[in-house]
This record gives sequence, structure tokens and C-alpha cells, in this order.
Amino acid sequence: MLNRVTNLTMTAAAQRTLQTQQSKLADLQDKASTLNKISRPSDDPAATAQALETRALQAANAQYGRNIDDGNTWLSAADSALQQASNVMQRIKDLTVQAGNGTLPQSGKDAIANELDSLNQDLINVANSKHLGRNIFAGNSDKATPFDGAMPPTFVAAGTSPVERRISETQTVRVDADGGTIFGSGTGSVFDTVNKLATDLRNGADTMPRVSEIDDAYKKIVNGRADVGARQAQLDRAGTVNTGMEASLDAQRTGIEKADLGSVIMDLKLQETNYQVALAATARVLQPTLMDFLR
Amino acid sequence: MSTFGALNTAYRGLTAAQQAMTVAGQNIANAATDGYTRQRVEQSAIAAPAQGLNGSGRPEVGQGVSVDSIARLGNTTLDASVRSASAQAGYASTRSAALQGIEGVLQEPGDNGISTALQGFWAAWQGAARQPDDDGPKGLLLTAANSLTDKISTGYQALQAQWSSVRAKASDAVDAVNAAASQVAAYNATIRSTVAAGGTANELIDARAKLTETIARLAGGTVREQPDGTVDVHIGGNALVMGTSVRTLALSGQSTDALGAPVQLLWKNPDGVASTDGGEIAGALSVLAPAAGGNGGAIAEAAASYNGFASALATAVNAVHQTGTTGSGTTGTDFFTVTGPSAALGIKGPISTSAVALGKSGAGAFDTSVADAMAQLGTGSTSPDKLWSGIVTGIGVQSRGAQQREDLAAATQASAVTGRASQTSVSLDEENVNLLTNQHAYQAAARVMTAVDEALDVLINRTGLVGR
Repeated sequence: MLNRVTNLTMTAAAQRTLQTQQSKLADLQDKASTLNKISRPSDDPAATAQALETRALQAANAQYGRNIDDGNTWLSAADSALQQASNVMQRIKDLTVQAGNGTLPQSGKDAIANELDSLNQDLINVANSKHLGRNIFAGNSDKATPFDGAMPPTFVAAGTSPVERRISETQTVRVDADGGTIFGSGTGSVFDTVNKLATDLRNGADTMPRVSEIDDAYKKIVNGRADVGARQAQLDRAGTVNTGMEASLDAQRTGIEKADLGSVIMDLKLQETNYQVALAATARVLQPTLMDFLR
Repeated sequence: MSTFGALNTAYRGLTAAQQAMTVAGQNIANAATDGYTRQRVEQSAIAAPAQGLNGSGRPEVGQGVSVDSIARLGNTTLDASVRSASAQAGYASTRSAALQGIEGVLQEPGDNGISTALQGFWAAWQGAARQPDDDGPKGLLLTAANSLTDKISTGYQALQAQWSSVRAKASDAVDAVNAAASQVAAYNATIRSTVAAGGTANELIDARAKLTETIARLAGGTVREQPDGTVDVHIGGNALVMGTSVRTLALSGQSTDALGAPVQLLWKNPDGVASTDGGEIAGALSVLAPAAGGNGGAIAEAAASYNGFASALATAVNAVHQTGTTGSGTTGTDFFTVTGPSAALGIKGPISTSAVALGKSGAGAFDTSVADAMAQLGTGSTSPDKLWSGIVTGIGVQSRGAQQREDLAAATQASAVTGRASQTSVSLDEENVNLLTNQHAYQAAARVMTAVDEALDVLINRTGLVGR
């Protein structure tokens, strides 16, 4: 009984076929114009979860990238400040050797002492130097001058947390330098040593014992600079990883969310043909009835 | 056999052929009419009169043809299968439409969804951590927080609007069922009296079948045919239409009810709770149901997910924020405040940058350990991001399932409708053949009449003229 075919069933079937083909065509056209595989979660729930995850990772990675760039500017500032400090120390060492010359008259010693005082002031300025308004050698302190007070100045920012930048989900890198360790605080600090050297020169005392103290202070500054350099290298490596990660995450997301252009175009062309065939067949099927042949 | 019997036989043939041609004409005229069921003349041969005591004793021929009825070539089984398929398709399509609406609210995956706002929020904490001495990044953080809470509350409001719109549609559907039921009862009355008077009610039955199909699509229901030509329509086992009497349905609650209110289908006169066997109303009721721990109505469950997400976000963020010191020096303060019964609507970020805690006290004025810990919230396995992704995936899976069921139900319905149409619809070729047959039958009957007429003419006018 189901095999009985009438004009109505034929028309309805033709309409349904055309409708199906047309909606497939519309889907593919939409896909081809946006190239989106997932336009709503139900298109592929599992891929949606992956897409959300990948997008979150991408956003976090971009943020780590900005953190790394920012950290690099900090470490460069610290490096150049420490370079200045070591230049100053180099000059101080030269002067110390010069002052050890026993034939130097007192007036010469006084002149050296004066230069040492001014170099000491330069050191204090370097130790108090800032990057974008923040202290380089005083962690998260907001003090205007972390090395403060009468000679020798004390480090007033001790105990504050270091400035850190997050470079990955699990890693943070310190981007400032510890002023307390590099320059020391109050008595025993590099400022104290230089100051005592100048005082000894003015008093005509023997400056030879001070040479090793100056050397120690110089080593601390060089060590601090090496530390900064090591961390800068770490940031550079993290930057490389970050860039690679960015590319791979982007490829991953494209793979999940975006359709392959070639296959979509192929599907679209095929579907266009299908639709045209359906149209032609419908036009042929719906025309004749017995009435065309009766007279 | 009487002298004029043959004339009468020919006349019967003429009228029968004429009737058949008229029916073919009716069929052809309604070839494209929706819901029309093809008709046929049911005719039978009239037997010769019984031989009585005074019978001739000779073999006698029958007395022509009788038109017994005009039959409607419908099939109650196929009608029933169309109704049940319509009920399932109505149920599935309403559910699928509602779930796709919920998906539309999510706007995931994309740049306008909550996930993007969340990522922006975490990134804003790190941005603020880079420049704790500056108010600019903190302002950006507040903007990111506002954008996140706005997205949550806008999504929740969209769900509320969707709930109201589905409820309004369900209410319209109930009204349509009531209207259709009273029309069915009216048709029942007309059909019963027509059939009792021996008339033909085929077209009325077609119209009534369309109405019962509407009822089935909206509210499920079964149709039972009665011997007097009427039908009873039952919904959930209770009679909606019985003969000419009608019971009405109504939705519980007010049309102003909002998301979360219970909605039921009720019987009026006498009152009671109605159950449905499918149909659009059942589909709407299933998505309108209040949340019940994951097994409630889809809209309310989605809204509950929004609330759960808002609460979880506020709890996680506040737990970290309370460990820090704000710009104005207070400790232990919340970042997000949640007020009112709905967390999704009541979640708000701080208004002023001085209420933001980036670091802990005692670790320097520019400490940003709290901001860093906050940004790390986005990456854990129990992070709000993961929670949200789970919600999105869950709704996506549900919606996909509903769409697949819809496709299946639509295919079933199409096949049921095709099956019925192949039985009941008019075939023009067939009607043309019938037309031809009956045209020839008419011409032949007329020829018989002429032949008998000529024979009688010979008998009456030309007999007994011998020798004139």
C-alpha cells in the first residue's frame, strides 16, 4: 500500500529533497565564508571544550609574553645601573692604588680624598636609581631613596618582597636586584668603605688595608651584575619558549576551530552540483501527467 | 422481467457513471488540498428479484447497479501514526529550539563570551601587578571585572527573557488546544447528525482529522473513533473531547511568572493536574521546569549554572583577595560583592581602585603577590575557567542530543506523513483513468438505453401492421 505514488507524494518528496539540499548548501556556504568549524557549542561539544582551553592558554601565554618584555626592561635597567657602579668602583680602585704611593704629598692625598667623596656620592645615586619611577635595588618598597641618611647611608627597604614577573604558569623571575646584598647597609657597606678610605687619606693613615676591602665591595657589585645577567638569560630563554608556544597554540586553535579551506570549497562545489541535479530532476519529474497524453 | 426493466437498468448505469465522474471531479479539484482524503464511489450490482410463487421460473438478469456510498479512503492506523509522530516531533523541536536559544546566550566559543572576559580579567591582574604604583592598570582591572560581571548578569537576564518567551508560547499552545478541542466537538455534532441522516460527511471528517492532528502536535493525545461517527480525544488518559462535550486545559500560575516558578498543565472543570503524552506543550513544560540539581528544566538549570559560576568565581577571587591589603590600607576585604537571591545578577566588582588589594602588608608598598596569586586562579584544575568550560560543554552536549532527537523525530514524522499521503492523496493519473472508464460507461449506458428504446419502438409502433 505504501508503494502508491501520487502527484502529492511526488511533490512533497521533491520539496523535501530540495529543502534538504538547499539547507546543506546554506550550511556549507556559511562554513566557507566564515571558515568556522564550531559556531556554537553543539556543533562539536568536545572540540568546544578544547577550543576554550586553548583560547585560555593563548591569553595566558600572551600575558606571560608581556611580562617577559616588561621583565627585560627591568633587568636591562638594573644591568646598566650596575655597570655604572662598577665603572665608578674601577675608578675608586685606581685611586686607591695611586694613594698607596708613599711619595704622594698630603695635598695630593686630599685631592684624591675629595674625588673619592664625589665618586661615593655617584655610587649612592646609582644605588638609588629608578626604573619607570620604581626603585631598582629596593624590591617592592616605595621609599624615595632606599639608601638614606648620613654617611654611611643605611638600606631602609630591607625585608620587602622582591619584584617578580611571572613568565610561565609555574615560573616567576626576580627582575630587580637586592641593594642590601650588593651595596651593603650602614657600617660595612661599600659607601662606608669608600668613606673610611677618604678619611684615612685625609688623616695621612696607611691605606693599604683598605685595598682588600674595596676589592671585596667591587666583587659584590660584579656578582650582583652576573646574577642580573643570568636572570636576563633566563628571561631570553623564556621569551623564545613563549614565542614558540604562541605559534603552536595558534596552530592548535586553528586546527580545532577553523575548517580546511580546500575541503570546504570541494564540499561546496559538490553540493552546488547536487542541488542543481535535484532541481533538474524535480523539474523533469513534476511535469508529465496522464492529461498530457489524453485527448 | 418487465418490459421497461432494461430501460431502468440503463438509467441506473447512467446515474452511477455520472456520480463516479462527479467524485473524480471532486478528487481532481482537491488534488492539492491539504488534509483532503480521496473518495471513491462504492457501487454494487443489484441482484434479480427473488423468484416468488408467481415467479416466471426462467433465469433472470440482475437489475443494474446501485451506488451504495461515497467512501473516504482514509486509514485510521496511518492517521494515528501521523499523530503520534507529530507529537514526538513537536516535543523534540520545542526542546531543541529552547536549548539552541540557551546556546545562543552563551556566545561560546568567541570573543563575546564569558571565557574571553575571564581571560581578560586574569590578564588585568597581571597588568596591575606590573605597575602597582600606577592607578591606570588598576582602573583597567576594574573595567575587566565589570565586563565579566556584566556578561554574567546579561546572560542570566537573557535566560530569564527566554523562559518568559517559552512560557508565553506554551500558554498560546494551550489556548490553541482548547480552541481546536471545541471545534472537534462541534464537528462531532455535525458529523453525527449527518451520518445518522444517511448523508456523507467525508469533508467534515477531513477537517476534524486536521484539528486532531493539531491537538496531537501541541499536546500529544490519542483519538478513539466511536460507532456514531464521533471521535473522543484523550490527553494523558483523560478525555479532552468526548462526543460533543469539551474539557479545557490551562497553565498553572500567572503569565507574569518569572524564571524558576513551577509550571504545570491543569484541567479545568473539574480541576486537576494533566499529564501530556508529548507534543509542543510537553516539550515547553520540560524546559520550563524549575532547577532540580541538574535534572530540572534546561533553562532553569542553565540559570542555576550561571549562579553557581558567579558564586564560585566570587568565592575563589575573594579568598585570595582577603589575604591582601587594599590601597586604602584595609585587609580581609572582598573583591566581588554578591547580593540578592541570584548570584549571577548580584555579583559586582569594586567601584574604586583604592579597594583593590594587589599585595600583602609588610612586604613593601608595591608588593604584588596577591595579584599574581589571583592571576594563577585562572590556570588551576578547579579554576572558574574550567567550571565555565564544563558548563558550556554540558549545554552543548544537551543541545546536540536534542537536535539529533529533533532530526530523528522530523524524519519519523516525514515518513509517517508520506505513508499516509501515499494512501490518501489524489493521484491525477488514477482519477483520469476513472474519468475515462466512467465516461465510457456513461456512453455505453446511453447506448443500451437507445437500443432498448429502438427495440421497444419496433414492438410498439411497428407491430401489428400486417395487412394494412
